[in-house]
Amino acid sequence: MFDTSIKLALTLSQIGAVMGVVLLTVAILTLLERKVLSWMQDRMGPMEVGPYGVLQPVADGLKLFFKEDIIPAGANKIMFSLAPILVLVPALIGFAVIPFGPNWTIDVMGVEFKPFVISDINIGVLYILAFASIGAYGVILGGWASNSKYSLLGGLRSAAQLISYELNVGLAIVGVLLLAGSLSLVEITEAQAGGFWNWFAFDPVPFPQFIAFVIFLIASVAETNRLPFDLPEAESELVAGFFTEYSGMRFAFFFMAEYANMILVSCMSTVLFFGGWHAPLPVLQAPGVFAWVTGIFWFTAKVYFFLFLFFWIRATLPRLRYDQLMRFGWKVLLPIALGNIVVTSLLAYIFPNG
Amino acid sequence: MKLKKWIQSLIFYEILLGMKETLKHFLKYRPITLEYPHVKKPLPENYRGMLGLLRYDDDTEKCVGCDLCEAACPSRVIRVVSAEVPGEPTKRFAKEYYMDMTRCLFCGLCVKACPVDALGMSQEFEWAVYDKRNLQLNKEQLLAIGDRAFPEREKRLEFQHPNVAYFNVSFKDIPEKEF
Repeated sequence: MFDTSIKLALTLSQIGAVMGVVLLTVAILTLLERKVLSWMQDRMGPMEVGPYGVLQPVADGLKLFFKEDIIPAGANKIMFSLAPILVLVPALIGFAVIPFGPNWTIDVMGVEFKPFVISDINIGVLYILAFASIGAYGVILGGWASNSKYSLLGGLRSAAQLISYELNVGLAIVGVLLLAGSLSLVEITEAQAGGFWNWFAFDPVPFPQFIAFVIFLIASVAETNRLPFDLPEAESELVAGFFTEYSGMRFAFFFMAEYANMILVSCMSTVLFFGGWHAPLPVLQAPGVFAWVTGIFWFTAKVYFFLFLFFWIRATLPRLRYDQLMRFGWKVLLPIALGNIVVTSLLAYIFPNG
Repeated sequence: MKLKKWIQSLIFYEILLGMKETLKHFLKYRPITLEYPHVKKPLPENYRGMLGLLRYDDDTEKCVGCDLCEAACPSRVIRVVSAEVPGEPTKRFAKEYYMDMTRCLFCGLCVKACPVDALGMSQEFEWAVYDKRNLQLNKEQLLAIGDRAFPEREKRLEFQHPNVAYFNVSFKDIPEKEF
């Protein structure tokens, strides 16, 4: 009983810490995105709230919190309230299996405890993919329950896009799983120890997964509804897609879910293709007890690089047309991903100890 | 040639070019934004802003109520009610002077038409109001605009040049014309 309560307390504090960091990152990202985007477009971005606009997320949050919460007439109230939660919770729940530091096990009063991963389950990748699919339900339900044709069409489009690109995400990961021989994100990261030449994206033997990484990146941009695949939102053409009718905190939930998904996807590409907490060169890894400092540093640096990449791509590319999106997903990405699996498995069979 | 294009499309060459361009702007951050309410763009010398009525340096109004501005105005902004100066039958002034600035197109024809330069266009442009009626200005408001926009005032016409004073019979204390 004592052990259980200790474990509960440890896990709860860990969940609290991770959620806090993720939600803080979401708040930072909302500002960072606007700033990076405007710097790339020779603008200034938010400058009014606080010095250089750094308090803008606070102002935005307060505004959304105190805004009137409108439920449109004829909307299905239960589904309408459920949809934002269904979108946000899967986005946040994925962080439970992300390892963000060395895989240590410490002993706290007789309880084994992993400080840098909330739960190291042996189907981590499947778990994340499964919950990412549940997010699509929130999108469809939100679009349908709003009792608005724009929301419904936006939701259907969005769902079609999510399902199409989820496939590519899954297939792009298969190559990594073949090489690592595990679905646990901790074990996948540990298989990439050593310098950057051991990361799955660059590992020359048996087969570098760089193509798979590019597919994963493109598909995950599409899955998080970011530009150039933000057809569900399409600010300049549609009203807002599936969350047209949402306002106040419910809208904020969708918004936070989008950013949390971005962080999750960045974490996943870091862990799967870029060696998680491992430093690019073994020299850059602190020895002994301080390994967790560099571990968390490198993990954060890689995640933020991918987040920056999201903004960078957004600042560069225009939006795709819907048929282009579908054609690209099914006719280009899918065959390449399948071919990558074939080549990887063949080479992994020929060089079993690569 | 065909192979080159094929390889280029394979490595997303054009997208990479675009990303290089955006990164260049990101690293060499030179914003063109003018933070408007804090920083204002310098206006040209001949900027045609809000209209105002002017005064002479002895605080008398310049306007002689001749109605030429009203006639010149293409959008019928101005309405002048002219009257005699009490006790001086040869001199007239604008008893009432109204401008409906909702209609004004800031062409400056009234300023050109004025024979005594009684109208001036200030550099003011921040005249957004919540109520349209606040843009229907009367004489006092127009004079106030003129006062704050043109602090340097002219002398009375008869003091500027003696030839004018010769013909002006309405003022008693005019200086003698010099021959």
